[in-house]
This record gives sequence, C-alpha cells and structure tokens, in this order.
Amino acid sequence: MDNLFVQVGIRPIPAPQVKKQKWGRGKPLASIAVLTLILLSCLFCDFFIPKDPTYMDLYHANVAPNSEFWFGTDTMGRDIFSMIFYGGRISLFIGFFATLISTAIAIIFGAISGLAPKWLDEVLMRFTEILLSIPNLLLIIFVQAILGKANVLSISLVIGITGWTSIAKVVRTEVRQIRSAEYVVASRCMGAGFFHILWKHLIPNFVSSIMFMVVMNIRGAIGAESTLSFMGIGLPLEVISWGSMLSLSEKVLLSGSWWLILIPGAFLVVTLLCVTNIGNYLRKCGNRKVSNL
Amino acid sequence: MSEILLDVKGLTHYFRLSKTAVIKAVDDVSFQIHKGEIFGLVGESGSGKSTVARCVMNVHKPASGSIYYQGIDTCDPAQFRKNRKLLQTSRQFIFQDSTSSLNQRMRVADIIAEPMAIHHVKPQRGSLREEAAFQLHYVGLDSSYLDKYPSELSGGMRQRVTIARALSMEPELLVADEPIASLDVSIQAQIINLFAHCNREHGCSILFIAHDLAVVKYLCHRVGVMFQGKLVEVATTKELFENPLHPYTKSLLAAIPIPNPRLERARVWHPFDPGLFDRNGKMVEVSQGHFVLKGETV
Amino acid sequence: MIRKNPYIYYGRKILAFALSVLILSVVVFYIARLAPGDPLVSYYGERVERMSTQQRQWAEEKLGLNAPIYVQYIRWLQNAVKGDFGISFKYKMDVLEVIGERLGNTLILGGIAFVLIFAGALGLGILCAWKEDGWLDRCICKIGTITSCIPEFWLSLVLILIFAVNLRLLPSGGAYAIGHKNDIGDRVVHLILPMTVAVINHLWYYAFMIRNKLLDEVRADYVLLAKSKGLDKKRIIFHHCLRNIVPSYLSLMAISVPHILGGTYIIETVFSYPGIGTLSYESARYQDYNLLMVLCIFTGAVVILFHMIAQIINERIDPRMREQEIVDTTEVTEIG
Repeated sequence: MDNLFVQVGIRPIPAPQVKKQKWGRGKPLASIAVLTLILLSCLFCDFFIPKDPTYMDLYHANVAPNSEFWFGTDTMGRDIFSMIFYGGRISLFIGFFATLISTAIAIIFGAISGLAPKWLDEVLMRFTEILLSIPNLLLIIFVQAILGKANVLSISLVIGITGWTSIAKVVRTEVRQIRSAEYVVASRCMGAGFFHILWKHLIPNFVSSIMFMVVMNIRGAIGAESTLSFMGIGLPLEVISWGSMLSLSEKVLLSGSWWLILIPGAFLVVTLLCVTNIGNYLRKCGNRKVSNL
Repeated sequence: MSEILLDVKGLTHYFRLSKTAVIKAVDDVSFQIHKGEIFGLVGESGSGKSTVARCVMNVHKPASGSIYYQGIDTCDPAQFRKNRKLLQTSRQFIFQDSTSSLNQRMRVADIIAEPMAIHHVKPQRGSLREEAAFQLHYVGLDSSYLDKYPSELSGGMRQRVTIARALSMEPELLVADEPIASLDVSIQAQIINLFAHCNREHGCSILFIAHDLAVVKYLCHRVGVMFQGKLVEVATTKELFENPLHPYTKSLLAAIPIPNPRLERARVWHPFDPGLFDRNGKMVEVSQGHFVLKGETV
Repeated sequence: MIRKNPYIYYGRKILAFALSVLILSVVVFYIARLAPGDPLVSYYGERVERMSTQQRQWAEEKLGLNAPIYVQYIRWLQNAVKGDFGISFKYKMDVLEVIGERLGNTLILGGIAFVLIFAGALGLGILCAWKEDGWLDRCICKIGTITSCIPEFWLSLVLILIFAVNLRLLPSGGAYAIGHKNDIGDRVVHLILPMTVAVINHLWYYAFMIRNKLLDEVRADYVLLAKSKGLDKKRIIFHHCLRNIVPSYLSLMAISVPHILGGTYIIETVFSYPGIGTLSYESARYQDYNLLMVLCIFTGAVVILFHMIAQIINERIDPRMREQEIVDTTEVTEIG
C-alpha cells in the first residue's frame, strides 16, 4: 500500500486570460447619471432655487412659464421651479424610507416564515396571500385612516407596511431553499449559531434576488405617494411634494394650465424611469444565459 | 487494537414519508471505530449509509440507539451541550456533493476558515488567511485559489476545499459521506490518497462511506456492509474480501468487475434475493472481529 | 394530480376559498372599525354636530355601532349569510343595490381591459421573444418601460388635457352623457380614454413578463434538441415553448387581477366614472362600513377565485404544479 501512495502535488495552471471589458458596458449609465443629478439637486436645492417655494405670491398666481418663473406658478402663486426640487426631497425621502420599512418587515417576516415549522409557515403565507388579494390602494386608504392625518412619516409608514408582502415571499422561498442546503448543514455541524448562518449564508444568498424588488419598491413608493396625494388622501397641499403638487392639477384641467400638470409629472416619470432602468439592470445581472434558438 | 473512538449502539432512524408510510432508513446498527482506523461502510444506494453518517454527526436525531464519541453520549442533549466545543471541533463532516456543500458566495479562504471563525480558534500560523493557505497547500492546491469562488473550481478542487475545511480543525474523526462519488476516476485516486495520507500522518480516524468496493479494499482497515438499513456483515478488509459469509456480501463482491475480459465473461453471478432477507436476524461473531447477521433464512 | 374522488378535491378547494374569504372579512371588519372617523357623519351628514349625547346613543344603537367589535362582526355575518349586507350609511340604500348599479360599469371597463391586456401581452410577448434583441424588440421594450413608469392618474390627466380640453374630441369623464344612459355609442366614446389608460399602463408589463418567460423557455435544453431534430423556429415556439408557458400565463392572469382592478379604481376616480372604484374610495373616506366591507370582500373574493381557478387548471395541465408557485407573484410589484 505504501508504494502506491503518491503525494498530491500542486498542479500548475496557466493564469486565466481576462478579457478586458469596457467599464460600464451594459450598465444603465444614463439613468444613474440623471437620477444622481435629480437626487443631488433635490438635496442641495437650498443653494440655487430662486424663490421661496412656500411663499404664495398671489399677484403672480397661475402664471405660465416665463423668464421670471421658469416653470410657471401654481394657483396659489408658488414658484414651480423651486417647488419641484423642494418637493422632490420629500417624494424621494418617502420613496426610500417606505422601502426601508417594507424591506425590514419583509426580511424579518420572510426569515421567520422560512425557518418556521411547516404549519406556521402555512399560516403566515396564507395571511400574506390574503393581504395581497386586497388591492393595495384600499389597504393604504385603510391604514392611513387609522393613523389619522397624513404627514411625511405617517405616509411612508403606510406605504411601507402595505408593500412588504411580495419581498417577504421571495425571502421566505429563498430561506426555505437555503436552509436545507448542505453548506448550511455543514455549517451547523461545525457548530455555527443562528446568527452566523443568517449573516454568512442566508443574507448573502437572497440579497441579490431581492435587490431588484427593493429597487422596484422605491419606484412603487414614490408612485404611491403621488397617487395618494393626488387623490387627496396623502399629503396636504401645504406639504410640498410631487404628489401634492399634482393634486392641484385636476382643478386646473379645464383652465388649460398645462405646466401644472406636465412639469411635476415629467419629473416624476423621469425619476421613476431611471429607477426602473436600474432595477431592470439588476434583474438582468441575475440571469445571463445564451439563447438556444 | 487501540481504544475505541466511536461506538454506535443499536442506531435506528426512521423517515416519515406521509401519515402512513414510514421508511426504516437505519435499523438497529451497531459498530465501533478505533482510534487511527479507517472504517468503510458500503452498500447499495438507499441502504442507509448516509443516514448513519448524518446521525453520527448529529444532523439527524436518531429514533433510538446511542452513539458514544470518546465516551460522550452525543444523542443526549445535556451531554452534547456540555461537550459542544469538543464534539464540534474534533468531528468533521465531508459531504458527497461538493457543489452544494460550499456556499457559492464565499471565497475559498473564507470557506476554509469558517470553522475556525465560528469557534474563535486562534490560528497557529498568524492569520486565518494564512491558515487557509496552509490547509489549501496541504490538500494540493496553491494559494492562488484563496480568492476564488467555488463555481470557478472544478469538482476535484472543490472536494479538496471541503476536505481542507474539515482538516482545518485537525479533527480526530472524519466522517466522509461518499466523498468521491461525484468525481472523475483520475481525481478519485488523488482524493483517496489524500485520505490515506491524513490517516497515516495525523492518525485521524475516518468513517468512509462508499459504494465502490475497490476503493474500500484499498483504503479501509475494516468494512461494514449495509443492506436495507441493516448492517449485515462487519470484518477486517482482508477477512471480508477473502471470506465473505453473508449472501448479500457474497453477491456484492461477486459483482466487482474483473479487469480481464476473458475471466469477466466467464464469471458466475450470485444474485441476492431480497425476499430471503430476514430483518430480525442477530449479529453473530463468527471469528475474531468478524460479525455476520444471522437470521432464519440466511 | 387530481385525487380519485373529485368531490373531495373540489370540496377542499371550496372550503379553502370560503375560509380565505372569511378571514378576509374579519381583517377588513377590524381594520375598518378600528379606524377613527365618525360613521354617523356619513349617515346623518352635518346634523351629527348638533346631536345631543342621547340622540347619538340612540343613533349608534339603531345602527348597531355600540356593541363590541366581535359582536358586531357576528351580527354582520349572520345577516350576510342570509344575503342581507346592511344598508349603506351614505346612500341610505341596501348595499347590494348600491353596488349593483355600478358593478356593471366596472365590469365593462375592467373586463374589456383585462381581455385586451392579455391578448395584447401574449402577442407582444411572442413578437419580442421572436425578435429577441432586434430593433423591434428593443423599441417595444423601451416604450413599454416608459409607459409602465407613468402613474395611471397622471396619464389620465395628460390624456384628458390633450383629447378633452385641447382637442375637444372626447368627453373628460363619466360613463355616459346626461340623457344618453342607454346609448351604446355614447358609452363607447366615454370608455375610450379610461380604457386606453388601463391598457397602456398594464399591457407592456405583462408583455414583458411573457417575453421573459418565453426567453427562459428558449434557453431550455429541449429547444436545443428540437432544433437539432430540424424543427423550424415557428414550430418550436408555437408548439413547444408556448405550451410550456401556459401555466405561467394563467397564473400571471390570476395575479394581475388585483393590480388591474386597483388600477381601474384609480382611473375611475380620475374620470369620475361611476363604478365600484369610485364607490370604494368614497366609502373608505366616509367610513361607510357596510358598503366598504362588501366592496373589499367582493374584490378579495374575485381575486382569490381567480387564483384558485388558475391553480386548478394548472394542476390539470401539469401535476407537478401542485405545491409550487408558478410565477413569482413577487415580480409584479406595482401600486394599484
């Protein structure tokens, strides 16, 4: 037996030839740039907006865009150009904050459901399905009614606690798959505790699959805020956001003040578009395969 | 032989398939592993070999029976908790499928150092990374692999990584669940040599599970044969291959292909009829260290 | 796999359905009752402010609002089983009557939109998958991405601005002009804008999902086999791939119901189209409990029903589908 033994040596392998790809190829650079621009200008709007966005200049109410009011003024005489950036802050904040809330709920709920025994998992999943079956809007109206008068935090909370179900489902499915994977069993054999497994094995594995949904959730939250405010259930007129700016528009429809509708809406749509593009890129990163056809 | 490291007594484990169907995966299995010994467990697929291994590693909790490791009853929660660190560091598990037993999102260095990180072991060679490099070197890979992901490695390399991970804790007992089944034949030889090397240099005992008899004959000191959840025969490798007593063992050994076409063609088959198998038989010691399951029919 | 006894199988499904609706009704009932806001306002209007305490108590007792919530719920359930869902506080009419008047309008809008969306999505999806990465595919995807980003209400506003206010071609709202209740032509004209919004907003999204499902199929190994057998592209896509995405397609339809319904509700509100969307919005704002309950349960029941039908058909097509989810419900993340 002894002479049969051969020490396994190091097998030299040639260094792999790395094809240099142009940086940023296939990445949604334009979307990232535009989104960054909008984000930065909303954050630092105090330095360049020409007017006080909350000041109601009643002499210049409902003025079409001109050299003084670049984007015109609304029916209460506020300068739209200033309001856009000022309000964008709130819209974007709601988008990110609501997503933060729903992602946190989703990860906790999904991980519990994924690690729970079968019957509890069943109950929790039925519950989310029932929540999913109520159109989101009705749900939001309900919860908003419970929390009372809307402000920025309450509306983020409402959107956040109504929008977590779909992410939770993904987390749960992933956790269920991963928890019986052999590397988790191996880790457990080696004596790993729950948090070690969660942190080292579970989270890194499902992060990529929920990343796309988290980004889309931001988009959903921004859209939800504007829809709610537009319908008069969200932010009141005094709190400037893209949604509350648009809520004026129904009244001015017949007077033909197009700038009140088109300009805030365009900003909203462009932001949503950029977020969507980034989300789609993240999704595409996940599955790259070549067509068989 | 030297002292007993692992003592499995009457191990039984069931799997519940549905409300009515229950599978007896392992049924009253007893065997011992001595210090510095390679114990082989062979049998066809579904005969319960892996379940034995998983019970030994406390992955499954056995329905009945007990497993003593260095005198510690590992199935007893209180004793397990008391000796957790010893049990978890000195026994290591190697899975059959290296692809699924390595986290795709961890680098090789982190994978190998994971058990040390879990137990906060102070690395002998400075940092965890150097420790990982050393283990990697030991299993025959150079340190350029440290920053690779498992998906960038071939099957043989991945299996070496799992072995390196298991060896990093310098275990007393290595439970290898068909570690070579998913590998190419040329790589199988390398891995087997690695096991033999570990056993000789470090004196670690190995519970080696395989369905390839040639490998078992080459590597193991003693062999147990399993059939339908029962251990039917245990003997030293030499004894078992020269003098198989149980009809199932006989048919198993007869199925080894002979590397000579003329003899191979002339071979007589000894098919084993599972209908004759008596599950209620008792283990009888026929000669020194040679146990056979004796029932009424066979 | 359908068990040998179909009665047990369908009995189970019906039981699960009933149970889901029951739980839904409990959830909605509790949320609605816990919400602040005075339901008396919707019943008595401004008069509530002038009521004395005794009058209030009498009114609450008359409407059954002073009992504990679970008692109210049981009372409601007992009546509901008999088909009596109570009266709408706002309209002072039987709830079913109020809904019945408007249900037809919503069904026309939502139903036609649903059919159009899924017929169009299938066509576009196949077209895109056929010409994968061609200019047509890219164009459709780009346009689709953009339209899917436009919130329904804003698209409605812009269309109203263009077609109703500036061009004066189409009416800006309502289901029919005054005095033309039974004029089909007039109704169709009123439907054009809301329908356009509903379809544009969802069409691409589902087309995109179908395209992706098809592309996943195209990457499967059996396509390679079919191709090596010498089948042409048309045959592979229509005979092999398409058949395999039928389960996903059906599930997608089921999942889309709450989104399309939700979208329809918003559109109805903007166009002041007299459907249950406007109704549920009003009832939630004015705490019109009985109406709200029925609307929510109705919407939820429709959604759950669609889910179950899709599941049953899928199980018939492919027994493996029993437990697993066919489409990530999750990919559909839209506010609606």
